[in-house]
Amino acid sequence: MQLLDIRNLSLELATPEGLICAVDRVNLLIREGEVRGLVGESGSGKSLIAKAIMGVLNNRWHVKADRFSWNGQDLLRLPYEEQRRIISRDVAMIYQEPSRSMDPTAPVGEQIMESIPDHVIQGVSWWQRGYFRKARAKALLHKVGIKDHLTVWNSYPYQLSEGICQKISIAMAIAKDPKLLIADEPTTALESTTQAQLFRLLASLNQLKGMSILLISHELETVARITDTISVLYCGQLVEAGETATLLKRPRHPYTDALIKSVPEFQPDLAFKQQLYALPGSIPTLQHLPIGCRLGPRCPNARRECVRTPQLEKQQNHYFSCHFPLNRSDDE
Amino acid sequence: MIIRYLLRRLFLLSFVFVAATCFTFSLNYFYPGDLLTNFSGIQQIDDAQRQTLAASMGLEQSVVQQYILYVQRLVAGNWGLSFATQQPVIGEVQTVLPATLELAAYALLVSLVIGIPLGLLAAIKHESWFERTVSTLSSIGYSLPVFWWALLLIMLFSLHWGLLPTSGRLSVLYEIPQVTGFMLLDILLAPVPYQTEALRDAIRHLALPTLILATYPTTVMIRFVRDSMLEVLAQNYVKTARAKGLSRSQVLYHHGLRNALLPVTHQVGLQFSTLITLAMMTEVIFSWPGIGQWLISSIYQRNFTAIQAGVLVISSVVVAVNMFTEILHTLLNPLARKDA
Repeated sequence: MQLLDIRNLSLELATPEGLICAVDRVNLLIREGEVRGLVGESGSGKSLIAKAIMGVLNNRWHVKADRFSWNGQDLLRLPYEEQRRIISRDVAMIYQEPSRSMDPTAPVGEQIMESIPDHVIQGVSWWQRGYFRKARAKALLHKVGIKDHLTVWNSYPYQLSEGICQKISIAMAIAKDPKLLIADEPTTALESTTQAQLFRLLASLNQLKGMSILLISHELETVARITDTISVLYCGQLVEAGETATLLKRPRHPYTDALIKSVPEFQPDLAFKQQLYALPGSIPTLQHLPIGCRLGPRCPNARRECVRTPQLEKQQNHYFSCHFPLNRSDDE
Repeated sequence: MIIRYLLRRLFLLSFVFVAATCFTFSLNYFYPGDLLTNFSGIQQIDDAQRQTLAASMGLEQSVVQQYILYVQRLVAGNWGLSFATQQPVIGEVQTVLPATLELAAYALLVSLVIGIPLGLLAAIKHESWFERTVSTLSSIGYSLPVFWWALLLIMLFSLHWGLLPTSGRLSVLYEIPQVTGFMLLDILLAPVPYQTEALRDAIRHLALPTLILATYPTTVMIRFVRDSMLEVLAQNYVKTARAKGLSRSQVLYHHGLRNALLPVTHQVGLQFSTLITLAMMTEVIFSWPGIGQWLISSIYQRNFTAIQAGVLVISSVVVAVNMFTEILHTLLNPLARKDA
């Protein structure tokens, strides 16, 4: 069952120099209970897509999509308020800088209680609601691995470490039992032990509750470890999407290939002090995006055809958009 | 932790007072004329009096000793006699200071009551005609010179329409004994038959100076609150709150208001010194019997004891209000407590 199906999502930023197409016709498909990774360099539009799904982009952004269906329901046909109601009921998001996504002047306990939606406490008589909310908030804290809920309860976000803040923001996110949890680089601010804890927590949420997760990261190796499927973005274009194992084993797009080769962990026969593979050049700025395939100027296989944007090709569950895909001989 | 913080603040406050008294003390040496006269304010001093005064002020001892005696006199309430009236200065300060504080307090109140809601609305209705109107008006109000604005309004309200009186605190028809020095309070406390009439008259006298004095702080408040709210609305936690499924009004009420309004306490303290300066000008224009007018006329009369007292009192009030709002801000705002 498809939970989220987005076709040709474009995000354009209005600037004095005109519209800049930061995200160019990206497709995203998430099935129920799936963990999907969204990988790309910083500036490739990963977070923008997440914010667009949540509907929290500011109004300088123009959002367009051909299809935006949630749980079989086409959200584009619904009025804005209705869209927001459905999304905020079913989708939750955790952010890169957890301490900045919490109100700095409100105690943590209050913020967690606030994120418990009203439908969770329906049927509880009104004089017990406060108590019920509090009990539930405490249970949430325990669930995300915070044992000492009393200290955390009355603390302000600045008094807590980033790791604890991230756990709290997960607690706030899962308070409404979302069908989809979007984790936008949840581990960048954390130490490696906390990172491991966090991924275990996400994995258990996925397995025990069947919660789908969209994990956004720039680190292919961490994403590869816990995801079922991966979408790779470059400069706001979807370059490749598919099941994690096949994608890693047989990448079809030169960018994915370069990404995999640049990770030492995926290169068992890498010699001592050998140079890692990297594409020449660097990611272009938003004002100077190349036409056609945006990887064009950096791509080792680029030819004249690449000035046209390649169509997304499909082979089984593997999507890629390249005129000259790699690993062709294996299929044909 | 709070106690430690308060002690540290008070310690700092005492330094400010030492510096202020050092300054006023040294003024006595810089003023022209007899040192004894400058200190005591007595104009004709005969020889016998001179002996006792010099002894009591320690003029034969070191400057440090003199300063200590000076501070002791200040604390004891012996601030010398006014050159002009030969009355104790402290008594005059006690009559004029409340008038200024009353005026400044009402102006501050008006600026908060009008400025905060307008600023908030301007931020919430960002990029609308309402915001543009408010911004334009506040820019105009911000740049209006107070003396010109005052004359303009006097011309309009008093001379042209004859609605409001041009000067003073109360019509001479009413006699109200001074208890607190705050006119409205005094009228309410006074056992006189014409209480309501006097009250109405006092409010009519207050209206114009308050309005004029409030113009500047109101515009500052509008701009400050608007910027503060816009900044808060762009923060990540507001987006998170939206993503939680809270409605716009819930987000504004629970997260926007508190975060945007907490810095206002601090802003009030910062604006207070400007307010007092403007109050002085307003007092001169409206012949308001406050400390500003008193101090300025003392300067014209070279009334040195009064100048000293005025400088000391005004600086103490400003510093104390500053300190008070800062402490209040620290107590209210958890983020300020972080650095405390």
